[in-house]
Amino acid sequence: MNAILDEAAVLETLSQIIDPELGCNIVDLGLIYRVSVADRLVRVTMTLTTPGCPMHESITMGVKNALLSTEGVAGVEVELVWDPPWHPSLMSEQARIALRVQPS
Amino acid sequence: MPQHLDVSTTAVALPLAFMITGVISLICVAAWLICNPAILATYHYSPNAAAITHLFALGWLCSVVMGAIYQLVPVALEAKLYSARLVFLQYALHVAGVTGMVLAFHAWNMKYVGWAGSIFATGVCLFIYNIVQTLWRIPRWNVVALSVTSALLWILLTITVGLLMAADKTGHAAFMFQFSPLGAMHTHAHLGVIGFFMMLIVGVSYKLIPMFTLSEVQSRRRAAASIVLLNIGLAGSLFSILLQSPLKPVFALVIIVALALYGGELIAIIRARKRRSLDWGVKYFLTAIALLIPLSIAALILSWSGLPLNPFTSQLENAYGFLAFAGAITFAVMGMLYKIIPFLVWYGSYSSHIGKAQVPALADMYPARMQMIAYWLFLAALAVTTIGILNSSPTVVRIGSIFFAANVVIFAINAEKILSHYFRPAIKPLTTAKAL
Repeated sequence: MNAILDEAAVLETLSQIIDPELGCNIVDLGLIYRVSVADRLVRVTMTLTTPGCPMHESITMGVKNALLSTEGVAGVEVELVWDPPWHPSLMSEQARIALRVQPS
Repeated sequence: MPQHLDVSTTAVALPLAFMITGVISLICVAAWLICNPAILATYHYSPNAAAITHLFALGWLCSVVMGAIYQLVPVALEAKLYSARLVFLQYALHVAGVTGMVLAFHAWNMKYVGWAGSIFATGVCLFIYNIVQTLWRIPRWNVVALSVTSALLWILLTITVGLLMAADKTGHAAFMFQFSPLGAMHTHAHLGVIGFFMMLIVGVSYKLIPMFTLSEVQSRRRAAASIVLLNIGLAGSLFSILLQSPLKPVFALVIIVALALYGGELIAIIRARKRRSLDWGVKYFLTAIALLIPLSIAALILSWSGLPLNPFTSQLENAYGFLAFAGAITFAVMGMLYKIIPFLVWYGSYSSHIGKAQVPALADMYPARMQMIAYWLFLAALAVTTIGILNSSPTVVRIGSIFFAANVVIFAINAEKILSHYFRPAIKPLTTAKAL
C-alpha cells in the first residue's frame, strides 16, 4: 500500500539526516525552511548553520539521496538559501536540550 | 586554465598526508626530547637544538598547518583550490626538504642545510602560488583572507632570512655579517612563529570558533585591527630584532596589543555563543590563547635591551621558545586538528552515503575522554618542562617530555581511530525506512 506523500512524510524522511558537526538531524536543527510536494516532485528550501559550511555539498546531496530513495518520489529540487540566516531559535526544543543551546 | 582533480582527492587525501607526516614528526620530537633533554636544558644555539626545532616547526607544525590550509581556505573563503597537482608536488618537496634540513642541522653542515632548505623553500613557493591563485577567486575579501595573505608574506620572509643565514655560514652572503647571528636567528624564529603560525591561528579562528560554538564575530573592526596591528608589530620587530635595536619592546608591545584585541574579540565571541558546552577541541584552543599572557610578559622582558646576559636569561629564552612552539601554537593546532581531521575523514568516507545510510557524527569518531586525559597531560608537560628549562635540569625536562610524549601518543591513537573510518567506514542501513 502506498503511503501519502506529504510535507510531514518528507520531514520525517529528512529527519534521518544528521549534521555531522553538531550530531543532530537537520529538521530538528531548523535547517529546513519549506517543503512542497506536487506531482511526485519534492521541493526543499533549506539553509545551513553558516555560509561556507564545509558540509554544504554533503548535506544537500544527503537530502536528495534520502528523498529519491523514497517510494513515490520522482524528483527532488533543493534550494539553498541564506536569507533568513539560520539562528539557534529555529531549533526544536529537543535539539536545544540535546545540544545545550541557550534559548533566545 | 587550472586543472581541478577529483574534489575528494584534493580535499581529503593530500591534506591527510600532510597531517600524518606532522603527527609522525611530533612523535619523533617527543622521543628525541626524552633521549636528549639537554637540548632544552642548555642554551639553544646548538646543532641539536636547531635540528629538533626545525623538525618541530616544519615537520610537525608546517605540515599540519599547510595541510589544514589547503582544506580550510576553500571552505572559509568559499573558493575552489587552484591546483591539487601543485599540492602533491609541494608535499614531495616538503618531506624531502624537511628531512634533509633536520639531518643537515644535526650534522651542522650548513651547505646541506642550504640545499635542503632550498628544496623546502621551493615547496613553500608552490604553496604560496597555489593559495594566492585561490585567493584571486574568492567572492569577497574579509579578515580571514587578510590574515592568510599576511601569513604568506611572512613565511616568504621567514624562509628568505633562514636561507640567507645558511648562505652566510658558508660565506655566500657577506652582507649578513653586519647582523648579529643571534639577532638573525631570533628574527627568523619570530617571523615564522608569529608571522605565519600565529597570524593563521588568529585569522582562521575568526571563521572557525564562531562555527564551532554557534556564535558570530562581534566586532569586525576589532578583528581587522588585530590583524593590521599584528602586521605592523611584526614589520617593526623584523628590523628591531635584526638590528638589536632598543625599540624592540615598542614593537613587542604593538604585537601584544594586537593579541589583546584578538583575545578581547575571542572572549566576546565565546560569550555570545549559543552552544553552552564547549567541546575539548575548543578548550584546547582557548587554553593556547590563554598561554599568550605569560608569553607576552616573557616577550617584553626579553626584548628589553638592558637585560643582563646570564645563564638564567638564556634559559628564559629557551622557556619562551618552548612555550610558544610546544605550548601556544601546538595546543591551538591540536585543538583545531581534533576538528579538521574528523571532518576530512568524514568527508572522504561518508559524504556520499549521507541520506542513504546511517553515518556517524564527527564526535563519534574518537573518544572525547582520551582527549580530555591528553589535555591534562599536555598542561602537566608544559609546566614540568618549563620548570626544568628554567632550572637547567635535564632530569626535570625529561620528566616533562615523558608527559608530553604521553599526550602525543594519545593524540596519535585518537588520530588513528579517526583515520580507521577512512579505511573501514562504519556505515549502517537506515533504521526507519520511511515509505512516503
